[in-house]
Amino acid sequence: MPDQAPEALKKSGALSETETLKKEAIPTAAAPATVVEAGPAPGRPRSLWSDAWHELRRRPTFLIAATIILVLFVMAAFPGWFTSVSPREADLTTNYLKEPQLTHFFSPEWLGYNQQGQSIWARMVHGTRASIIIGVAVTAIVLVFGGLVGMLAGYFGGWIDAILSRIVDVFLGIPFLLGTMVILVSFDTRTEWTVIMALAFLGWTTIARVMRGSVISVKQADYVAAARSLGAGTWRIMLRHILPNALAPVIVVAMVALGGYITAEAVLSFLGIGLTEPAISWGGDINRAQDRIRVAEHILLYPSILLSITILSFLMLGDAVRDALDPKLR
Amino acid sequence: MRGARSAKWVATAIVVALAATACGGSDDGGDGAGNPDGIVRVDGGEPQNPLLPTNTNEQFGALVVQNVFSKLLDFDDHGEIFMVAAESVEPSEDNGTWTVTLKDGWTFHDGTPVTAQHYVDAWNWAANIDNNQNNSFWFADIVGYEDVHPAEEGAEPTADAMSGLKVVDELTFTIELTTPVSYYDYKLGYDAFTPLPDSFYDDPEAFGEHPIGQGPYEFTAWNHGESIELTRYDDYAGEPAKNGGVHITSYDSLEAAYTDLRSNNLDIIRQVAPRDLPLYRDDLGEDHSVAQPYNGIQTIVPVWYEWEDTDPRVLQGVSMAIDRETITQTVLDGSRTPADSFVPPGVYGYQEGAANGITDFNPEEARRLVEEGGGIPDNKITIQYNSDGGHQEWVEAVCNSIIETLDVECVGDAKVDFDTDLEAREADEVQSMYRGGWFADYPLNVNFLKELYHSEAQSNYGRFDNEEVDALFEEGDAAATLDETAQAYAEAEQVLFEEMPAIPLWFNNVNGGWSENVSNVRFDSAGQPVLSEVTVNN
Repeated sequence: MPDQAPEALKKSGALSETETLKKEAIPTAAAPATVVEAGPAPGRPRSLWSDAWHELRRRPTFLIAATIILVLFVMAAFPGWFTSVSPREADLTTNYLKEPQLTHFFSPEWLGYNQQGQSIWARMVHGTRASIIIGVAVTAIVLVFGGLVGMLAGYFGGWIDAILSRIVDVFLGIPFLLGTMVILVSFDTRTEWTVIMALAFLGWTTIARVMRGSVISVKQADYVAAARSLGAGTWRIMLRHILPNALAPVIVVAMVALGGYITAEAVLSFLGIGLTEPAISWGGDINRAQDRIRVAEHILLYPSILLSITILSFLMLGDAVRDALDPKLR
Repeated sequence: MRGARSAKWVATAIVVALAATACGGSDDGGDGAGNPDGIVRVDGGEPQNPLLPTNTNEQFGALVVQNVFSKLLDFDDHGEIFMVAAESVEPSEDNGTWTVTLKDGWTFHDGTPVTAQHYVDAWNWAANIDNNQNNSFWFADIVGYEDVHPAEEGAEPTADAMSGLKVVDELTFTIELTTPVSYYDYKLGYDAFTPLPDSFYDDPEAFGEHPIGQGPYEFTAWNHGESIELTRYDDYAGEPAKNGGVHITSYDSLEAAYTDLRSNNLDIIRQVAPRDLPLYRDDLGEDHSVAQPYNGIQTIVPVWYEWEDTDPRVLQGVSMAIDRETITQTVLDGSRTPADSFVPPGVYGYQEGAANGITDFNPEEARRLVEEGGGIPDNKITIQYNSDGGHQEWVEAVCNSIIETLDVECVGDAKVDFDTDLEAREADEVQSMYRGGWFADYPLNVNFLKELYHSEAQSNYGRFDNEEVDALFEEGDAAATLDETAQAYAEAEQVLFEEMPAIPLWFNNVNGGWSENVSNVRFDSAGQPVLSEVTVNN
């Protein structure tokens, strides 16, 4: 045994030496090509955003989340592509609480029928619109308004900041969901827009805070000082120099919040103070399925699954975007 | 998954085992008289008001008051009167004066004998505006009511007693009415017409905390927010209770009560929650649960200020477009019985099939009638309802049925709560139709017709106004005998089906159940368990 040992060592040593060589050879040959392929056009440095985009394209979480969200958007815009029956068509005599036919993909009876004899799949597809519209619209309003307040407060500072920040504090003092409930119960009929306004009315403060902090930190950067010394005006500095650089954290917060707004709508509709008839909403359907949980769990199960998937997708997307935008997490 | 499945098997096995033993138990207990001192545990809640018969107008208080006090008379399942504390209740020739003779030998729970004076004093006290009793309006038919309860705001009573109440002797008193009513004895069956002992007047407030009545059960304790205890009154002069007492437990939710019933911590549940409706009869067994109609009806009421110019045939058509049978069996889980009249079956004067087919599901006839009548205004119906009462599902189902048959628009108009719903009705702001509901104050058809469809009735929020109907109602009120009254109202009901001031949907069912612990549980036509008849096994 001891005699053979050096031999074996030598052998393996020799083998690994050649292997290392081979291994090294391949990367050296390929590496420049990759750089050229993926690199920016000569003369243009990669911005934070295109960097992030490159980062994102490789992440499976991002790809999965983005695909699901894309499908949901298409579903919201063209529900007719996914189901041929109306979500309101009800046939109690033959379809009351009918069991799902899980192999009949995308047909009306796929996920079964609810307590009104309506196709659950059709209601899920048509319910997407309310959730997506509310999520997207609230986020957009909140971004614009909260972003503006945060920008003004952060940029000007002083008494403007003091006043705006106190206003934000006042709104932050109101519990989000409870506050929207109080607003919504005062309306007899509530459409998507009522819910959007109520959610946006109390939801803009987080964005304003994040924006303010972000603007304050960017404001002190050298390139801002440079722009100012070159004689750039207030608006130009704000829009061209500060905004693009302060936006990253705000976008991340907004994306995560979007999922939150969809949840909020579902919660409100679940409690019976969200959308009113004849609107179709996942939360409302889940609420009404509760009473029959012991006899027909499918009417509760499938809308809940879709709601969870949707919220999860937006959270995953927000996560992936945050990781991509923050160099420290890369 | 595997674990879950085996757990399910174990659970099933336990249930089967329990059911098997329980069945044996009930066979033994069902035959005998049971344990005479056993306590019956029934579900309830915290009463809103002090426990006075003249102040209680909600179900939790009523459950106590109805068992601590005995009424003068009560009603059977067909709305026929039988005497309880009264020997007889007789009208004069013109129905203007009623003579009440009490049974001898009745005592209050403090041992003092019940006399006619106790009744008269109690009613005078309750009618007095200064004493602010919720049920004082029940005495409004009696001569002298205006003197103790002036109608004007802020006016002081000018008398201590109603001149229409006269004590004849120890056990007899007479009631003089402002206008003769042939069915006044039906009103006397309400909880408010009970006596109070002398000790009440010393401290009415303390009495409200600890009422002393003359009923089958003596009040023992009120643990606020938790429970109320009643024990059998051994010197009760009526049919004695077959159990030792009643323990009324307060529950925050019907679901919790149901869970307690199934784990044997409760004996009787008076109404199961919607969640448990689909399976409670399977869970408890047919012989330990009921689903029977009681004296309540649900309708949808077209408001006349919107439907005035519409031919009533259109409304008959809408009525025929609703598939009541299917909806009650599916969406409502058998908690209602399809209606065939404006008056529930347990009510005196009920005519089986009074609707003459108008409440049957008949799509062709429905379309024909609507077309002949000129169609539904704007081709749109809305049904206003309160979203806190569990009505959404059936409103939607009714709408779907109408849409399917008549191809018009139909949506529910949800109001946050019953108060908001009522406000819209009172202010004549209902868009098209509203959900109507009515429970019997007394089981006579008069109560279901006059209070809702007389042009001046307080609850006529549909603002239905028809001279012929009003005339028939007044003829009925002036009739000499009860049967003639009921007959005139039955005729009026026929006219109502021609005019359609409301579309009858279904009668309410009581969906109650009881444990293996108790036997002989029966629910009366008001939907309440008859507690004094319940026997406790072991």
